[in-house]
Amino acid sequence: MRNAALWFDKKLGLEEHSIAHYAWVIVGIAGVVQMVGAAIRMAFGVLIDPLVAAFGWTPGSIGLAYALMSIVTALSSPLAGYLGNRFGARKTMAAGTVLFFIGMMWTSQTKEIWELYVAYGIVFGVSQALLLVPVVPAVASWFRRHLGLGTGIMMVSWSLGPALVVQVLAVLFNTVGWSQAFMIVGIAGTATLAVILLFFRNTPEEAGKVAYGTYSSDKPLVTSGNIFVSTQQEFQGYVYKTNAFWNLINIHFLGCVGHAVILVGIIPLGISKGLGPLTAAGVLTTISIVSVITRLIAPILSERLSAKTVMFIAFFGQGVGVFLLLTANSTLDFYIFAVVWAIPYGGEGTAFPVVNRQYYGHSPMGTTYGWQLLGAGLGMALGGVLPGMVFDITGTYTWAIILSAAFSLAGAASIVLLDKSKRQLIPDWPVMETGAVSTDAAARSPVRSNQPGSNPVSGD
Amino acid sequence: MKLASSNEPMDISSPELDGFEIKRRPFLGFGLLMSSVIGTLAVLIYFGAWASTDRIENRALAAGVTESHAEGEWWEDGLIFACPLH
Repeated sequence: MRNAALWFDKKLGLEEHSIAHYAWVIVGIAGVVQMVGAAIRMAFGVLIDPLVAAFGWTPGSIGLAYALMSIVTALSSPLAGYLGNRFGARKTMAAGTVLFFIGMMWTSQTKEIWELYVAYGIVFGVSQALLLVPVVPAVASWFRRHLGLGTGIMMVSWSLGPALVVQVLAVLFNTVGWSQAFMIVGIAGTATLAVILLFFRNTPEEAGKVAYGTYSSDKPLVTSGNIFVSTQQEFQGYVYKTNAFWNLINIHFLGCVGHAVILVGIIPLGISKGLGPLTAAGVLTTISIVSVITRLIAPILSERLSAKTVMFIAFFGQGVGVFLLLTANSTLDFYIFAVVWAIPYGGEGTAFPVVNRQYYGHSPMGTTYGWQLLGAGLGMALGGVLPGMVFDITGTYTWAIILSAAFSLAGAASIVLLDKSKRQLIPDWPVMETGAVSTDAAARSPVRSNQPGSNPVSGD
Repeated sequence: MKLASSNEPMDISSPELDGFEIKRRPFLGFGLLMSSVIGTLAVLIYFGAWASTDRIENRALAAGVTESHAEGEWWEDGLIFACPLH
């Protein structure tokens, strides 16, 4: 029996994995940061009606705060990525937590529309970038190998967070009102972030541990000091000079326009086709739940097979899948669409950290990822306004569906023009020359312990 | 236990760049990005001009005048001017 278990472990590559590693704590913290940070943003829809009722503002003017927040977050992302590289993700996220608290409290006390724009649009928008951008590269630094698995688990929170917080906010709005609901979520969110950041460490070296997936033959990477800063600037210069850097921004933008049109437009489209509001909302919930599967699997497959191939399939599927909506007229049609489309949609954006690792090795990816999120954020903002704009003009959502498909398929075409993702585009990030080199037999043995300097092949 | 050597100053010379993508100017990637920006602007101008035409038509109908006599807002005129299809 034991032999059979060992055979399966070896066949599936499980002998290289261990649950007892601090990298999983970091993944868990990153998941909670994403959940707290992104969920309030995703749950903006539930804020509109209470604000209309309280102040008589139009939905359009309230929606402008969301658009402003999306654009501010997008524009702040490269800077947030740079700050994460330069000062560490922990300090950057701590600053984001302070702004999160100010933004939430100010929003809760809003009396004028301009206050909503400043508090939610600008302050909260910057906090989103400071919280959500540096955390992904920080997780990457905790994985010498198997980044796909770490990324996949972390990305699941993108779906679960909003689904959870929308329900909590809806209950709070009904019981204590929108203002107190924002205060409660702001205080609880800030407290949660403050506590978990106490346990966050920017790099394994900072925590006195080794990265997950480190072999005994691996020399430690340069992760701090003056050399780190200057080398990082030099390597970022190399990254800027690759086609992939610019194309990945472009691809993230196109993919996000493609799915934002659907995520924003699916409920009004469903209602326009005769679905009830709750049934239409259920379509969106189904998309969120089903997409969890590919959010988890896509980065793992990207690492094992080819990130370029997985990304192409996701973008192509996302683009072609929306055509189901052109003939969708019944509840069943919409739910079939939700299940079919959510599979490629879930894999659309989650492979980026893996492809960054494949192209740029262990070079710090904060700034690079920040630029990619700039593309993504602008894409989400554009995709958010297109359905309403097109409906106002044409009276149907047909053109919005066609545009969604066109943007996703343009993204798929751009992926074809990427370099092979198994090939590193820039030199290897430097390693410390003081690391121990072991014999060939032990060289590919994973270091099972968290602690550097422990017996490389010992068990936990 | 911390990695004692992590913060020690080291002299790291620039790596050999032969064989990597960084020797080329990234025309392809930058060109694709610019194509998307231009394509997106074209879509926005097209639909914006379509919306502007509708708005001007509606105002003309409401005022009982011909379309050419209805005044457009500056941004409506700008979008219609920029769009070759309207």
